Amino acid sequence: MHVEKNKKLTKEMFVVMGKNADDMELIIRPTLSFWQDAWRRLKKNKAAIIGLIIIVCYGLLAIFAPFLSQYEYSTMDTSAIDASPSLVHWLGCDSTGRDLWVRIWMGARVSLTIGLLSATINMCVGAVIGGLCGFYGGKLDMVMMRIVDILYGIPSLIITILVMVVIGKGVMTLIIAMCIVGWIGTCRFVRGEVYRLKGQDFISAAKILGVPDIVIIVQQIIPNVLGLLVTNLCMAIPGAIFQEAFLSYIGLGISPPNCSWGVLAKEGIKMLRVAPHEVAAPAFFICTTMLALNLLGDGLRDAVDPKLRGTD
Amino acid sequence: MAKYIIKRVIAAIITLFVLITVVFFLVRLMPGEPFTSAKLTEEVALNMEKYYGFDKPLYMQYFQYIENLLHGNFGYSMFYTNKTVNYIIGQGFPFSADVGIRALMLAISFGIVFGILAAKNRGTKIDFFCVIVAILGTSIPDFIMGALLQYFFGIKWGLLPVAKYRGFEYTILPACALAFYTLASVSRIMRASMLEVVQQDYIKTAKAKGLSNFRITVKHQIRNAIMPVITMLGPTVASVLTGTFVIESIFAIPGMGKYYVESVTQNDYSMILGMTVFYGMFLVVCNLIVDILYGIVDPRVRIGGK
Amino acid sequence: MKKKLLSLLVAVSMSIGAMACGAYETEDTAADASTADTGSGSESSEKVFRYSDTVEPTTIDPSKANSIVDNELIHACQESLVRGIGGKVEPGIAESWELSEDGLTYTFHLRDTNWSDGQPVTADDFVYGLQRLLDPATASEYAFIGEYVKNGYAVETGEMEVSELGVRAEDDKTLVLELENPCAYFLSMVGTASQYVPIRKDIVESYGADFAATADKNVYSGPFKLVSTDNMMYVFEKNDQYWNKDAINLDRVEFSVISESNTAVAMYENGELDFVKLPTDSVAQYDDIDSEFMNGNEDYLYINEESTNKIVSNKNFRKALNYGLNRNDYIALATNNVYSPSNTLVMPLVGGASKSYGEEYTLDSYPLDGDIDVAKEYLEKAMSEEGYSDPSEIEIELTTTDLEASKKIAEVLQELWQNALGITVTIRQVTYADIYGSVLPNGDYQIAYGGWGPDYSDPYTYLELFKSDCSYNYSNYKNDEFDKLLEDSKTETDVKARMDMLNEAEKIILEDAAFVPLQCRQQHYLLNDKFTGVEFYFCSINIDWVYADVE
Repeated sequence: MHVEKNKKLTKEMFVVMGKNADDMELIIRPTLSFWQDAWRRLKKNKAAIIGLIIIVCYGLLAIFAPFLSQYEYSTMDTSAIDASPSLVHWLGCDSTGRDLWVRIWMGARVSLTIGLLSATINMCVGAVIGGLCGFYGGKLDMVMMRIVDILYGIPSLIITILVMVVIGKGVMTLIIAMCIVGWIGTCRFVRGEVYRLKGQDFISAAKILGVPDIVIIVQQIIPNVLGLLVTNLCMAIPGAIFQEAFLSYIGLGISPPNCSWGVLAKEGIKMLRVAPHEVAAPAFFICTTMLALNLLGDGLRDAVDPKLRGTD
Repeated sequence: MAKYIIKRVIAAIITLFVLITVVFFLVRLMPGEPFTSAKLTEEVALNMEKYYGFDKPLYMQYFQYIENLLHGNFGYSMFYTNKTVNYIIGQGFPFSADVGIRALMLAISFGIVFGILAAKNRGTKIDFFCVIVAILGTSIPDFIMGALLQYFFGIKWGLLPVAKYRGFEYTILPACALAFYTLASVSRIMRASMLEVVQQDYIKTAKAKGLSNFRITVKHQIRNAIMPVITMLGPTVASVLTGTFVIESIFAIPGMGKYYVESVTQNDYSMILGMTVFYGMFLVVCNLIVDILYGIVDPRVRIGGK
Repeated sequence: MKKKLLSLLVAVSMSIGAMACGAYETEDTAADASTADTGSGSESSEKVFRYSDTVEPTTIDPSKANSIVDNELIHACQESLVRGIGGKVEPGIAESWELSEDGLTYTFHLRDTNWSDGQPVTADDFVYGLQRLLDPATASEYAFIGEYVKNGYAVETGEMEVSELGVRAEDDKTLVLELENPCAYFLSMVGTASQYVPIRKDIVESYGADFAATADKNVYSGPFKLVSTDNMMYVFEKNDQYWNKDAINLDRVEFSVISESNTAVAMYENGELDFVKLPTDSVAQYDDIDSEFMNGNEDYLYINEESTNKIVSNKNFRKALNYGLNRNDYIALATNNVYSPSNTLVMPLVGGASKSYGEEYTLDSYPLDGDIDVAKEYLEKAMSEEGYSDPSEIEIELTTTDLEASKKIAEVLQELWQNALGITVTIRQVTYADIYGSVLPNGDYQIAYGGWGPDYSDPYTYLELFKSDCSYNYSNYKNDEFDKLLEDSKTETDVKARMDMLNEAEKIILEDAAFVPLQCRQQHYLLNDKFTGVEFYFCSINIDWVYADVE
């Protein structure tokens, strides 16, 4: 900006540089995809990493612990009925003398699968349908919401029993049965959020720019509700685990001698006064899993928040 | 607004009607029969089917049911013979609703306060405490929560009655046990939603305008952040008020929850339908209120227009 | 500022909470009005007995009663011709009676006594009670218990008019009752089954289908009258019209439905209940209690003779199952050693010819510890007959209900059989409505867990289950010799000879391994020391507090 006053500008003083297409697009900072950026930020969050480690540990224990133990998950022992935790039985035994340590990890297989899968499916389905309803509003919304009301009104027990009649028993049946109604909560709630978001400027801007609706939903709206979705997901997982326990008891869940955390907790609570370890063990693992998931969830939420993108 | 509400009420009636129809036919698909005595002879079974009109064609039974329903008559229970479904609901609902309302008040007020506090003090000990409460609340299932509360407060320390419903102090434990989950989810959602709102431009604008922090929190943040909580509350209110099986059985409260589960496991057709219609009405009304609240609470949503 | 916000919100929430409670307080007191003053009976000199059960009575309409609890409550508030007290038959409304030579006609002479509304009890009330029970229009689930009366079956199926039923009122105080067949245990059954109590025609007609729906929609002839059935609590008060009211000591009885047995136990310990049944899990906590009674329930496994799985209907395989089960281990694992293992069908306490059946006949049956060697022999035979080469190829399915206890039983059986025999056992759980509504009646199972509570104190009530023409012969078992013995026993008037026949019949089904006997249920309970005279029984009713007293 420092130009000598007297000097006259002549044409010769300028050189045509031409267009350099490469330079124009050049970004100094390394390009990070959305997920790379998220992962970068997640790594910096200690609590989230602790959560992740716990979940991975539990996952590994669920896979390997039953093989490494000398006990079978179904072997009963008349001499170890309600045995307290000891070096022989790390977490004690249940009311038929089965080793709880092994049963906890056998149960983890079922509970974690059901909890994670059904909660995730519910979240995805709910988010898409809720997003569409909230975004378009009008007749579609009206009709969908009435269908949701109807589905919600049918006793879930009836739905589960009928699903079982149609496709037989098993973990898949449980997941399907839970998903038939499970997505409704997420749907209603995403719809509410989208309602709130769609009046905002960045959405209007995207619309004016002619971005297709579906792209707006996926790229603009979903990332903005992701934080709440993750929170919702973390709360849905224990819900799914206990729904499974409830269903197992009316004969719609997994078949014995298989077990799950919910079933163990339910069997244990009856023994609260006689053998408190029988309920303490499953409750501890359920709670720590939830703690880990919540820590991870919080970290994830911050990591995927578009408004925090690029910041450290 | 009035036009919208009328439209919604009509839609609600249609919804209920479809719900009744769907459930009416679904229960007939359930395995098993409503008459389940181990000692039921074939002759008696025939008499009973006749008594309840099962020998007529299904569509006739359906029209008969709808006709009765229009007169407000849910029919006789098939399991609790001689009692009408209306009577059973009338007996149980006041208790369920009573405990439910207390639980809801507790859950909503404390849940919102916790959520706001956690968000406002993000990363501090207060936040941590609120998160722990929320995690415990969502990951300890009601049957454990209820049993623990009963064991410690009722049996071990003897501070509160163990069970039954004979006065105010009897409702404290069940209401707390029932509230815990909702409290936890409300506080979780409120916290997340508050954090979301804090970053919005209008908050910055408000700050730039020089509004007091208090005004910003109450008038702008909370008002905007409470929306997801309201969404969640629609179905929650309906299910909490119509009774929960586990809590009611642990605390021996003579509410509706027991009948809701029992009717399905006993294939008590008229009871299932009665319960469904009753619950459905509640649900539809709650959701209607939620939708109307959207318009009142959220200044940007103008109902009816897109 | 934060503090201000907090305090404001807390204040708001508190006030809302207080408001809500306030608004509902009036309703609470209204709902409590009936129960508030009954909270503690100790304040007054009133003798109050408070107890609970996990099951809610389905009805207190005598014709429609179908569960133990129904019977217990009706037993307390209605008086039959005779009254069964702990297995003994005492005169009820009938002062005396005669039985004809052929054992077919009873003539009852009724005493002068009144209903709770002051009207006299007449023979017509008994006639109407039985006619109503069997009238197809009543649709009583327990109508079959009236088939003992002449033409009972024909009336029940609509082939005859109710007026043709073999019961008539000679005059107001004389009732003549004809039986279809001679029946040794008829009076003991009448003493406990609620279906034989008198019913007032005018009351039924004025309330119609709502008859007995609540306490005020019926009148009472028994030692107690029901005053309230609200809110899962049944309140009884002494009936001052009862003929033997001087022998009744309790003033008031409160029966609460508490579906969580642990809750009921806690209430007992807090002094809020005087009697409670203990769930099997809790018995261990009370090492020193010896208070228990047999509730008459025999649990066993049905084996479907017409199963699609051929091996299940093989007699040798069924024997292998029976010998391969260590019943003592089973009892320890599945019931915390609370129930007693059983290797027969008939509960030993039921009446025999002069003493109890169990004392008169000892059956040589499967050893309680099982016998693996014998079991393996039978298994080998079964496998060669059905074309299996290795036990691991055999897979059987055990069907059970959704009750928690049933699930545990199934798991234990699965484990024990798999270990002992090397076969595979899978478990299928269905709802209660499903198992009795379709699984068992349709024969849609291989092996199923079930149980039987006796309706009268006689081996026949159990043995009938395997009679080929019986509606609830769910195992589709058919043995002509067995059928003939049971059929003949109906007309045999010599008590001893009849009992021998029944014993012979039981031997046959054990020899055929038609089922897998598991256990007789012992019910442990806690009873407040100050109460005396509480009776326990195993047919139709379990607890009988009618003549109870406070020390």
